Amino acid sequence: MNTLAIGASAAGFVAVMVAWGTYLATIPSGKVPARPVGWIILQLTGIAMAVLGVVWSFLEGGSPGVAVIVPAVLALMMGTTFFYLLTQRKTPIGNLKVKVGDTLLPFEAATSDRVRFHTDSLAGKRTLLKFFRGGW
Amino acid sequence: MKSDLEEHGVSLIALSKDTVEEAATHKTRDRMNLTLLSDPELEVIRQYGVEHHKALGFSTGNFTLFGIPLALTPSFKTMAIPTSLLVDENGVIQWIDQTDDYRLRSSEERVLQAVRDAFG
Repeated sequence: MNTLAIGASAAGFVAVMVAWGTYLATIPSGKVPARPVGWIILQLTGIAMAVLGVVWSFLEGGSPGVAVIVPAVLALMMGTTFFYLLTQRKTPIGNLKVKVGDTLLPFEAATSDRVRFHTDSLAGKRTLLKFFRGGW
Repeated sequence: MKSDLEEHGVSLIALSKDTVEEAATHKTRDRMNLTLLSDPELEVIRQYGVEHHKALGFSTGNFTLFGIPLALTPSFKTMAIPTSLLVDENGVIQWIDQTDDYRLRSSEERVLQAVRDAFG
């Protein structure tokens, strides 16, 4: 039983999960950081601890047991997912067909109540039109 | 936020690629009080040039934890780039806000400042 290896692996898992939890908690309040430096450091630390745990158990002789492998693999998966998602963050802006001062392009669409909506109905009204990514 | 907009006589309309059914579910679940428009064929999204081809998105599906929708199912879908257009009573666009990082959205403060700048 290699306590140090188990401890490092568990600490790595905890670090990754704390990083994820606190990062996701910024979403509802709209305070997602543009540059999540602290979270990146914590995720990298978690991944490093997990790897360290596995390496440690090999160095101590014998293969790492379940208590080392499971938290380490989870930490690696969750940690690398974080970085993968960050690489996907950019949107392809630049094709917007309207600019300030233009008139709204007329369109028709169905509302969630299955009623036809046409931009003509906005005449005489101030409107904030939001394009969004959809429900989740 | 909505009451601040109402103060300036601004109504809120939101459009996404969701189907009418998805939009209705979303509206009921999150108790939203605004007009949700459905553009599953991406006609309006393409008309305005706010298409994000094969964006990484997450949906809840049937997986909730104690009634909280956890969006853990990833998929690549074509959807809108988060974009806000503030339009006056003559249909003229007064302000545009678009994000180049989908994690970051118009803050409430930025929107309200734009509304105040446009409509006093």
